[in-house]
Order: sequence, then C-alpha cells, then structure tokens
Amino acid sequence: MCRFRLSNYLRIAIAVGAVVLGLAILQRVLPAQSADTAAQGQSSDQFTPSHRTISGAIREFFYIRSKPVQPIAYTHKVHLGNGMQCTDCHVGVDQGPDARIPSVNFCMTCHQVIATDKPEIKKLAAYKARGEDIPWQRVYGFEPEAHVKFNHAPHIRAGVDCSVCHGDMRQQTVAERKVDHTMGFCIDCHKQKGASVDCVTCHY
Amino acid sequence: MAHQWGMVIDLDRCTGCEACVVACHAENNISTVGEDQARRSRAKHWIRVERYYEGEFPDVQVKFMPVLCQQCDAAPCEPVCPTFASYHTSEGLNGQIYNRCIGTRYCANACPYVVRYFNFFNPVWDKPLNLQLNPDVSVREVGVMEKCTFCVQRIKAGEIKAEAEKRELKDGEIQPACVQSCAPRAMVFGDLNDPESEVSRLANSGRATKLLAELGTRPKVTYLQRDAWHGHENA
Amino acid sequence: MERRDFLKISAIAGATAALEGCGNPDHQLIRFVPEEDLLPGIATWKPSICTQCPAGCGMMVRVMQGEAEVIRKGQLGLLKMGLAKKLEGNPAHPISQGKLCPRGQAGLQVTYHPDRIKNPLVREGARGSGQFKEIGWDDAIKQLASQLSTLHTSNPPGGLAFVTGPLRGQRKTILDAFTTSFQGSYAVGAAFLDDSVARAANGASFGHAAPGTVDLANSNYVLSFGADFLGTWNSPVAQNVGFGHMRKGRPGMRGKFVQFEPRISQTGASADEFVAVQPGAEGVLALAIAHVVIAEKRKPLASAGHAGSLIDGWAQGLPDYAPEKVAAQTGVKAETIARIAREAASHDPAVAIIGDSATAQTNGYFNALAVNALNALLGSVGKPGGILFGAGLNAQASKSGPASLELFASQVSSGAAPVKVLLVYNANPIFSAPTAWGVRAALDKIPFIASFASFMDETALLADLILPDSSPLESWLDDVPPSGSAKFVMSVAPPAMAPLHDTRSAPDVLLDVAQRIGGDLAKALPWKTYDEAIQAAFAALYKEKGSKTAKDADEFWSRAKDQGGWWTDEPSATANGASGGRPIKASAAQFDGEASQYPFHFLPFASQLFYDGSLANLPWMQEAPDPLSTVMWGTWLEINPRTAQKLNIQRGDLVEVSSPHGKLQAPALIAPGVAPDVVAMPIGQGHESYTRYASGRGANPISILAPATVEGTGALAWAATRVKLSAVGRSAMILFGGSLTEASPELKHR
Repeated sequence: MCRFRLSNYLRIAIAVGAVVLGLAILQRVLPAQSADTAAQGQSSDQFTPSHRTISGAIREFFYIRSKPVQPIAYTHKVHLGNGMQCTDCHVGVDQGPDARIPSVNFCMTCHQVIATDKPEIKKLAAYKARGEDIPWQRVYGFEPEAHVKFNHAPHIRAGVDCSVCHGDMRQQTVAERKVDHTMGFCIDCHKQKGASVDCVTCHY
Repeated sequence: MAHQWGMVIDLDRCTGCEACVVACHAENNISTVGEDQARRSRAKHWIRVERYYEGEFPDVQVKFMPVLCQQCDAAPCEPVCPTFASYHTSEGLNGQIYNRCIGTRYCANACPYVVRYFNFFNPVWDKPLNLQLNPDVSVREVGVMEKCTFCVQRIKAGEIKAEAEKRELKDGEIQPACVQSCAPRAMVFGDLNDPESEVSRLANSGRATKLLAELGTRPKVTYLQRDAWHGHENA
Repeated sequence: MERRDFLKISAIAGATAALEGCGNPDHQLIRFVPEEDLLPGIATWKPSICTQCPAGCGMMVRVMQGEAEVIRKGQLGLLKMGLAKKLEGNPAHPISQGKLCPRGQAGLQVTYHPDRIKNPLVREGARGSGQFKEIGWDDAIKQLASQLSTLHTSNPPGGLAFVTGPLRGQRKTILDAFTTSFQGSYAVGAAFLDDSVARAANGASFGHAAPGTVDLANSNYVLSFGADFLGTWNSPVAQNVGFGHMRKGRPGMRGKFVQFEPRISQTGASADEFVAVQPGAEGVLALAIAHVVIAEKRKPLASAGHAGSLIDGWAQGLPDYAPEKVAAQTGVKAETIARIAREAASHDPAVAIIGDSATAQTNGYFNALAVNALNALLGSVGKPGGILFGAGLNAQASKSGPASLELFASQVSSGAAPVKVLLVYNANPIFSAPTAWGVRAALDKIPFIASFASFMDETALLADLILPDSSPLESWLDDVPPSGSAKFVMSVAPPAMAPLHDTRSAPDVLLDVAQRIGGDLAKALPWKTYDEAIQAAFAALYKEKGSKTAKDADEFWSRAKDQGGWWTDEPSATANGASGGRPIKASAAQFDGEASQYPFHFLPFASQLFYDGSLANLPWMQEAPDPLSTVMWGTWLEINPRTAQKLNIQRGDLVEVSSPHGKLQAPALIAPGVAPDVVAMPIGQGHESYTRYASGRGANPISILAPATVEGTGALAWAATRVKLSAVGRSAMILFGGSLTEASPELKHR
C-alpha cells in the first residue's frame, strides 16, 4: 500500500519537467535541419520544431521579451517636448500598416546642424558617415507565431490616439514597452468601440 | 448587409493553363516542398487543376477543373476542429486561424474536396527566394494547417480602402490572385449577397453546378459546366 | 512540494529562457543606409515586361519595402529596398490585357533565385570544369573589349559570332550594330521554339513575314492544326483572353474550336472536337477541307488569292485532295472532313491556324502554306475573327532572319567559319540543339567565349568569361511584340527594383564595350546607358506616329514609361501584298529512322511550365503539376494505352527511347490522348547543369532528335524523328493527380 502522495503542484512540476526534458533530448539527438537537403531547397526528413531552441519556446510560452538595447539613446521626451508630432517621424502610419521608424538620412536632415556637439548626436553622425543605418531594435511587435496582421491606418483613421497603445511618449526617454499588447487588450477596445472581433479580422 | 464572398468558375472558359496555381503560390507564401516531400503527396497547391480523360483514342476528351477550398457554408472541417481554428467568418469564409491550430489534422480528414494542406516541416526558402514573400500574408510554421483563404488579405485590404475612401466596394474590385491572373476570365469572384454582382448573376446560370453538392457541404464555389457547340454544318 | 518551490522552479526555467538574447544590435548584421525612400507595408505598382516567353506580355509589378542581404564594398549587410513581390498582367497592355500565364507569374523566381551568378567570372580550370574565379566589372569589361577590339581591327576582318535568343527592340538594334560593324560576323538564333516557318509561309502567302495575330475573340470557328495556342504557341495570354471571349463573352454566340493533332495537347483539351491526324498530314488535311468548301461552292476558290495559287492544283479545285482520297493518309474519315468543312464555311468568321509539330515536320512549310490557303479561302485574313497582320508590327521583323545554329555549328567545326569570339546572350544552344548537330564540338573550336548568362547552364559552363546579366525586373526593358494584338505596341519599362547582386544589364555592357571600341560602332550606338537607347527609339516613334495626348517627345517618353509602353490602333494590313512563288505540290513528311526498326513517331512538346527548358530552374515550375499529366519534379514519356499493353509496359516502367541519333531514359506514363504509333515527351528537363532545382533531373528529348530540316526554310524539323522503345527497369514519377507514386521510392529515376 503506497502512502506516497504527490501534491498537485508537484504533479504539474513533474509533468512540465518531463516534457522539457523530452524536448531537450530530442533537440540534441535529432538535428533541426539537414544542411544537404536544405541546400537543395527541400524540406528535411528530420523533425523540425517550431522554435529553434527550448529557451525560444519557453520564452514564447511565458511571453518573455528581452529588453531591447538601443544603439543610440534617442529620447521621445526631448523631441516631443520641442513641439514635434508623432507623425513627423512615423510617416505613413495613417496610410498603411506600419509606423515607419525613419532612416538615418531623415534624422540627419535636422541633426546635421542641431545639437551636433552632443555625444548621442555624434554617434548618429558616425553612422551616417559610415554609410550605415541605425540598427533600432523593435520595442513593440508580435511573435510571428501569433500571426497578427495589425494595420495602423484604420486605427489612426478611427481616431485612436497613439498614446492609447503606446503610452504617453512625452514621458519616455528611451522607448520602453509601457503597454502590454495582449489579445485581451485589443479585444477590450474593439468591443468597446464596436469594431469587429471576428478572428479573421486580425489573424490570417 | 454583410458581404458573402463566393466564386464562379466557368469550365467552358478554363483552359487548364495553371496560371491560378502559380499566382496563388506567389501571393500566399506557399513554400515549395521539394521532390522528396512531393513524392509523399505533401505539395501544397491550394488551388489545383484536375484533369479527366474520357474515352479511348481517337475519341478522347480531356476536361479541366480547378479545385480550391469551397468555403462551404456547412463545412465538414469546422465541427471537427477541437480548437476552433477552422471556423466560419461573418463574411462566409472558412477561416483558418494558424495560431489556434494545433495540428490534429481532423479538418483535412473531413474535407471531401481534399483542399487542406498540412505543414509537416518548417517551410524552406533558399535565400534570397524569401525576399519574394508577401508581407500581407502569414508564413505558416510547422504543425499548422493551411488552405485557400479566397485571398482574405486582399479582401481585408479592399474593405479597409473602401472604408478609408468612405464608399462602398465596387463589384470586381477585390480579386483573389487566381481570379486576377485567369486569362480566359474563367474565374469570377464577388459578393453573393449583392444580386447585381457578376458572381450572383453567373451563379444563377443554367449551367451552374456545385462540386459534391450531394454531400450537403453547401459550397460557395459554383461551377458552370462545359458547354457544347450548338451549330450545324448547314447553319 | 509546496507552492513556493514550484514557483522557484518555474522562475529558474524562465530565467534560463530569458538569457537567450536578441534585440541586441551588436549580434546582428549591419544595416546600410537605404537608397530609396519607401513606406513599409505600402505597395507601389510599376510597369514591366514579361520575358519568360517571346510573347512580350505587359506586366505590373507589386513593389514593397523589404530587407535584403546585400554586399556593399565587400561587406555583407542588410538593406531596406523596394522588392518585387507579385507580378500581374498590365490591364492597359494590349497583349496581356491584365492577365498572365503561369510562366509569367514565376518570373519573380528568376530575380530571387539562389543560384544566380552574382558577379563576373573568369574561367580558371579547363573549359567545362565549372571552375571560375570572381573578378570585378572593370576587369571583365576590359577583357571583353580587348578581345573585340582585336577582332575589330584584324585583317582579314571577321571572327565574331553572337548566339542569342529572339531579340527585339533596341537589343536587336545593338546586335545589328555589332554585326554590321564587325564584317563577316554571325548572328545565330538558338531558340528551340521559333516561328521561322510561320514567318516564311506568311511571307510567301500574304507578303507579311510575321507570325500574325489570331483574333479569337471575334471568331466563330477555329481550326487549329497542331498549334498549342492556349498553352505555349505564339501569344498564349492574348489567345487565352480571346478564347474566353469567343466561348462565353458574347451572349448567344459560342465559337467552335476543332483541334487537329496526333496527341491531344493542353490546348486540344479545350477543343469541342479533337481530331487525331497522322503526323505530317496536317497540310493535306487542310487542303481536303478546302476541297470540300470549293467543291460545294461554299466559297469561291479565287478568294484564296495568291495564297491559293501557291498550292499546286488550286485552280482546278484541288482534285487530289478529295476527302476520300486522303482519308487513309491523314487518318481522318472522309465524312468528318466534309462535315467540318461545311461547318467552317457556314460559320463566319472562321480561322485556321497551324503551329508546333505541324510546322516541325520536313514538310512543315508546305503544311503552313496549305493552312494559309485554307484561311484565305475562308476569308479570314486581315479581317476581324481571323488572322491579322498589323503593318506596324512588321517594322521590327528582321529582314534577314538569324543564321541557323545547325549550319553555324557545322561551319565552325569544319573551319569554314573561323569564329574567334563568341558572345552568348539569352541562349543555351548546348541544351536546345540536337546532339547530332555537334554544337559542343563547334564551341570547343572557338578560342574565346563570353556569356551574359544569369545562371550556370550547360553553355555558360563552357564560357571563358561570364558577365552576368541583371534579371529582367532589375533592368530597363523594351519590346516590340510581333503578334498578340491588332494594335501597334511598343513596350518600355524602367527597372522595378535595384539589382540584388553585382550584375549589370547586358545591353549596358555592350554599349560600354561599343564606346571603347570606338569608330563606326560607337557612332552607331551613341548611348551611354540602355535607357538612353530606348528613349531614342521612342523619340523616333513619336516623330513617325505622333500622339494624341503628348505635346512633345519628352512628354511622350514620360507617359510611355508610366504606363508600360505606347500603343495605337492600326489598320490591319490586307493580304494583297504577296506575289511570286511557284505552286508547291504536296510533299509527304519524311521521318528519320526506318519504320520497321523505329516504329514510333517521337513527339517532343513545349512544356506549359518549362516552355523550351529555360524555366526548368524555377522551383515553382518544377513543383507545379503539368496540366495533362500532373507530374512534378520529373519527366515522363507518354504512351498510348493499347501500345503499352502490347509492349507490356506499365506506368512507371523506365523506358529507353532510342533514335538513330541517341538514346535517353524516361518513366512511362500511360496517356489516353496520344496516338498508338506516337510517343510524346515534354521539353524542359534533362539539364546537366541548370541550378540546384533542374541539374541532373530527367531527360532532354531534344538531344536525340534527328538533324532533319523543314524543307524550304532550314528550320529544325523536330517532329520528324522515329524511335524504338524498350523497358529497362522501374522508376517512380511524382503525380499530383490523386494517387501516390508507383514504384517504391528507392528506385529513383536518374
């Protein structure tokens, strides 16, 4: 007669651990994609998981996003404080799906004369001199597996202010994720405004 | 009234050229599976041209029929999906929501038209073929089912454009990739809820049939049967 | 375990996950400053021209911003640039009318192909070894210019040869300038599928050495003798558009279409009536139909005019072609011939067309003249619903056609043509010529071969210098399509996107070389870049034709670039321009190979997907199922079911096909549509070298063809070979149509 009883938490932990261990073993034992077949433009006969690494899968599952490291300490607070508007730089946000982050050419139209002594501006000028564009890192965005097709333009046209989804950028120095774009966040607003909540509105 | 998207394919016009097949691949980021996987019947032709031989030489006839997802109003693939990844949208499409799909493949099993394709592996595009990918369409990862969507990205884009311009959609304004490329104009797409639309008009033709209608799937694709010549040698 | 511990374990798992970083610019490729100012996610549409077959359909290209890995100044990085994403027909273009065929749709894969030649190459190892070294453009052009300069000033002159595909527009102008300036040079056409027989016959019958435009949209009765006009013949997209209209575009009217051929083709599949005809007897059949029309006084025989007079016996009403007399020869019952004749004559406008295997017989020229006479009799030449010859479309038709590749090869091999420098452009003569022509041996004799190829095909492998052409979407394009519309059309398109690799547009390179050579050549080609050349052509066009909308040449040019070209209605030329020529008697088709030893007619056919084999390198084309057979990634041999039964050949058996000039192996496909004494094979596979997708795949039917010629023209009679078959093993084809493959997977066909 076995008196050993597992608590529920222990059962869950064992189950999760077993799965993780199993995946780890599979990952090491089976190569993700044979180089040969990939070279022939053909899918491999091997197991090709959706994520390349275990940690990648765990991160997606727990919605862990690394904090982006920006190459230049661009501060929204300063620029917006000087009277600029969101759309001055994020051109096209009312025309199409993307709110463009401008290229170094765009920044230099002002900064070839403005604040040229500041160290961050010197970094900017250095990029331009090297013929390189600034490698801005995404702050917002969805995992590819979420298959979200977000389109900025209809939201702008519907009068949704930028700050609703991105927070008050006038208070932000280096851009941070101030608003969590979970599906609930989107659905709540859609329901409030009477916009469609049909799956295929955003997922296709 | 909400749109109900439908299609008409005139088999008297279709010449089997397969422009629709390739246009679909180009528009919808369908990966090439390669020889080995194609041998295992895993090529993903969301639209295919079926051909049927009848008779014996020299009295042979060949018939072409493009087959794609019929967006059935009573789709057998919808009730079998355990996660509602396959569901019916408000505009009459059979939606396939990739992030809901957990790859049970019951839907493909249930589909009598064999128009659902499973991603057994992550797709491969030998660089730089990946640069051709359409940013408006998802790239489906391994374990996910895919099929013709009536180019829902084009439908969405058309609806958003019409709304931005504060007007109604015009008939024929939205064309899926296959319809747009069809040179003999065998394929017509439009709103079945609009009695004036070309698709509604043609769906009422005397030659109209539906594929496997007897199964009760209520497909939204109407086929117009191939016609015959009604002339005479002494007309 | 307590809740605390559980949470601890989860946190550790999460932390390890968090350690895997990205979002750090130090671990990424550098990004180059964009050279274009594009809004991401928003598409622009640019006009272009499809070059996947000679039809010249106008296209629109969907261009969107994307990030490409490029090399700038030797460094790899990412560049945001406009990328072509989708091709569509240009709705305003008179040829494509907004539509494209599958080959046109696949044009994107030419630009983005992983095996494109990315920079100039110079040969390092032995010729054909595939060992090349990368060099810079300055070096490459200097080498080419120096080779050509030497020739230009040599005494005696001569020694230059071009082997090209069909060239039109200013590319033709550049080629002509070179061949004029280099005395004794050769311009050789290497396209396997060409319309030289049609041009010759139309020139003789009607005075228009042009393929002619078939006005299907307005036709009521179409008699097609072997022409795959809905697949690969002449101007397929335009013909498909017209065909759809002919069928169901006119309320209450539906045209009839009869296809005469030995094997039901993709086009034949759409026929109301498929009539099997003996290979080579198409001309006799056409005249039998004409005989009935004349005999029953449905049309006056004089209405055939000059075209009729070219047929021996026409004035007497074609007594030798009475249906009963030719039923055995043609394989068509006399009643069928008579009925069709009556139908055609009583359903104006009726039009007859001929192409593909019917003009690729030794008597192909006669067949074409016969069909032309029938057409003239039916009254369709130069009329709506018939064959149209626009006067303007002839302007670019070459006065002297390109030299024959067969003749060129034999003259080079024998030493009669001392070619020192060969330039290969848009051609792959090693693949597209029968082995019997000895093209490989001829090329071995040429000291210097330069190629503009974008892919390492069989011919490029033999080059000493490769100056890779940019892809069409990356180049300035112009075209004067010879058929497909009743309008006069001159197309132009700026590049839709910047080049991905270190390639240059071949015409630009030739213009550069011309300037370096100087003299009369530089004078003949006074342009620095190709767009200047095209602009000059449009300036000349404006001067000649004027314009209703543009007030000067600049505006004319600007509008043309915006819409993809310029077109205008043109009165179609009449058929009265012809004269001369003696009446021709019927000649029976000759076949290479004794019928007793080689019992089957060998019928290669143009592939809907690979065309003449030049598109076999595109993965979409390899994976798209062939329309009639549904084969993917492979090749096949079509055999009649009864014949297969007699020979005990089953589907999937590996069959050796032998002609008197070679042999190949292909898996057998039992095809109900092919005649019992015919075996058919698609053209396109069998490349020894043509990128990862096509190399070493399948077999090339062209290789075993007999060096037979079409009498009166010198074109290759590619339907005139006989073969024998023997089963040598098992293979496995991949069929998309329903079933899985036949043989077990390990017996892969090689």
